[in-house]
Amino acid sequence: MSDALVYTPEQLLSSEAAAEPLIANGVRCHGGFDVDGQYRSPRTLCRAPAIEAWQAQLSQDGHPLLEVPSRAMPPQYPNAAQAKLLLRHGVREPLVRSLTIISIVEGFGAMIRDVQVPDLGEVLVEPFAGTALAHLQSGLFEAHARDESGYRDEGGHKQMWEAARDAALENPHIPGDVLMRLMGRRGQGGRPAPLFPEIGQPLERMLGFMANVLVVEVFAEETFRWGMDILSDPDVSAAAEIAGGMVSHIQADEKPHVEYLRTALSEVSARTIKTVEGGTLPGKQVIDSLMHRILEQTTRARPADQRDDLRENLAESMRTATNPSALQDDFDALETHWAPPARTGFEAAEDAA
Amino acid sequence: MRLTRIVRSLQIGWTAARVWGMYKIPYWLKKLRGRELSESELSAIHERAAQKTLDLALGLRGVMIKMCQAVATRADIFPPEIIDKLKQCHDAVPPKGFEIVREIVESELGKSMDAVFSSFEPEAMASASLAQVHRARLVDGREVAVKVQYPDIETIIRTDLANMRRVCRVYEFFDPRPLPLLPLLVELTRHLGMELDFVREADCADRVRELFVDDPQVKIPVIHREWSTRRVLTMELVGGIKITEKRKIEAVGLVPAEVLQNLMYIYVRMILAAGFFQADPHPGNLFVSPKGQIVVLDFGLSKELPEGFGLGLFELMFSLMTFNESAMVRAFEELGFRSKTGDTTTFVAIARRMVNRSDTGAFEGELTEDMTDELFEAIREDPVAEVPSDFVLVARVFSLLSGIAHSLGSRANILQAMSGGGPAPGPES
Repeated sequence: MSDALVYTPEQLLSSEAAAEPLIANGVRCHGGFDVDGQYRSPRTLCRAPAIEAWQAQLSQDGHPLLEVPSRAMPPQYPNAAQAKLLLRHGVREPLVRSLTIISIVEGFGAMIRDVQVPDLGEVLVEPFAGTALAHLQSGLFEAHARDESGYRDEGGHKQMWEAARDAALENPHIPGDVLMRLMGRRGQGGRPAPLFPEIGQPLERMLGFMANVLVVEVFAEETFRWGMDILSDPDVSAAAEIAGGMVSHIQADEKPHVEYLRTALSEVSARTIKTVEGGTLPGKQVIDSLMHRILEQTTRARPADQRDDLRENLAESMRTATNPSALQDDFDALETHWAPPARTGFEAAEDAA
Repeated sequence: MRLTRIVRSLQIGWTAARVWGMYKIPYWLKKLRGRELSESELSAIHERAAQKTLDLALGLRGVMIKMCQAVATRADIFPPEIIDKLKQCHDAVPPKGFEIVREIVESELGKSMDAVFSSFEPEAMASASLAQVHRARLVDGREVAVKVQYPDIETIIRTDLANMRRVCRVYEFFDPRPLPLLPLLVELTRHLGMELDFVREADCADRVRELFVDDPQVKIPVIHREWSTRRVLTMELVGGIKITEKRKIEAVGLVPAEVLQNLMYIYVRMILAAGFFQADPHPGNLFVSPKGQIVVLDFGLSKELPEGFGLGLFELMFSLMTFNESAMVRAFEELGFRSKTGDTTTFVAIARRMVNRSDTGAFEGELTEDMTDELFEAIREDPVAEVPSDFVLVARVFSLLSGIAHSLGSRANILQAMSGGGPAPGPES
């Protein structure tokens, strides 16, 4: 473990030299393989030890690391068994659509580089030099953006998911409604109202964005498990080893994202925030409230809405099978039930309020 | 009517001949002296020619106005002097008198006005090159806006289009390197055909309303089919604040950036996701209700895009954002761009010029007017590339939205609108 707490952007963006590059479906991607054939994630030469050092510092100061409860993670729909059943019956569209949407969503990760970081010296009471927070705009956001969307002619997770899809399903036709499905239905109320107007919009917007991305990243674990289960099954995948391997590389690359985001949010949680009117507010109250709201949204209404939309879509796709009603019955029999946990684990701040 | 047609034909022919002469006579004179026209001389000729064309359009109205407006959107074909001049060609025209309007409405609806409307404002609310709009009230009390097509406008347009086709053929016959005016005319004919058919306009409005059926933040006026025909369109009267009026928007407690985000969502959903859109988002067609609902009017120019176009456009913008050159070339080709020599580096060079014209020197999801101007200028200067007309229309729409965004002090970020405005949505679960 490195003790260094301060890094330059170049250091946080630097990668280990690869003995062999990662080529996905003809596209040169980030990362690569060492001499032992082990996959090495990109931009982790300094980033990985840096995150460890910041976490160690936080723990040494007596502050816990924020945990997103994995029990809150909604399962993928259709589940792996259902998706495989569809593939065995020649119904490929739903999986092609899901994988394409996942690749696009990964690509949107690049937008994290556009997050406006307010002058943290102005909004935090305690010093923050040598923390993840101090490195958000000097390397961490940029590394995250490049990992997700690629950088120049080097592909990132977007291209890696596309490669996994195309290898496993042999360059399938992409359904014309992919972007419609991606945009889905928007909420009825527009943007949620600020929870803490007293800390100013720029800070709350940044923290809310980070908390949201953290939840997406943690929940993506379920997507990786699901993706590997399907794409590495030779019964339904034309290139089980390549496609499954690609998803496992993406999964490895995502680890630093989860770690730096929860470290930075925990650092805010351990500090005191100045209000715009000259008062103060405990950072923990702000972070816990934001996490609570996001978890409430992502585990309650949203999965149910998406599931309802998807069911209609799936039934339509199944009509192309030889015996649609039998397939629908078999599909329903593989259903796994899931209910969101009663509590998000971040209620304390809300209860106190 | 026959005399009018002859006069219009003569005026168009005479102006075309004069414009042609403006270019050719100085060119031949210079050639005799073994020289070529300088850039400044050519620029002055462009300006004079554009002025002459604009004068003709303002005099003849009708299709000539539409032609000038169409030319002004094609910076990929015409030089900036012509584009700038013809951009001034607004299609506001003096409205027709009430008696003419009454005659059309009654003959189209097959009933007397009093049988349909309890009141009908004699003064038009708005008038343009093809139709004018009146405020009215149906006998059941509902307030409506009635769009009435001018009498004989179809005949006038047919005459003008035929004249212009003749002029274009003569021009192409004489000029060794003619500008591609005929394809532009074909496109204009198609668009005018759409705009003149109010039944089609009603269908388009219904189709877009259906797209936002569950979305309370969008308002598409309801069409009263029973009182609409090919030449009369009766729709729900919907008002609001003009979308560019930032102060009025703020005065009712709305946040302009959120209004813009809402507008961008609507257009991105129509263009990229549904592949069917209202292609005329100028500020006169877009309003905001005090509750923040976006009102979209005028579906005369609505367009269906080919399957895969939205995804292709998304991939192009995505590759511009990451400056992934190979992905960029793939996306340009998927959208229908063609390089005559097969040299795809042209596309990369064009993208570079375009991105360099953005405010930050990077593509951050917004197609500004400067960027689209640069794109079309690069295409015009480099004769190796061809640009699909669907792309031109979509680029024009996004640059109009960018203009609206700037008047609201915001940015028309297409990728952000697509991802829901904030952090990207999670994978489907």
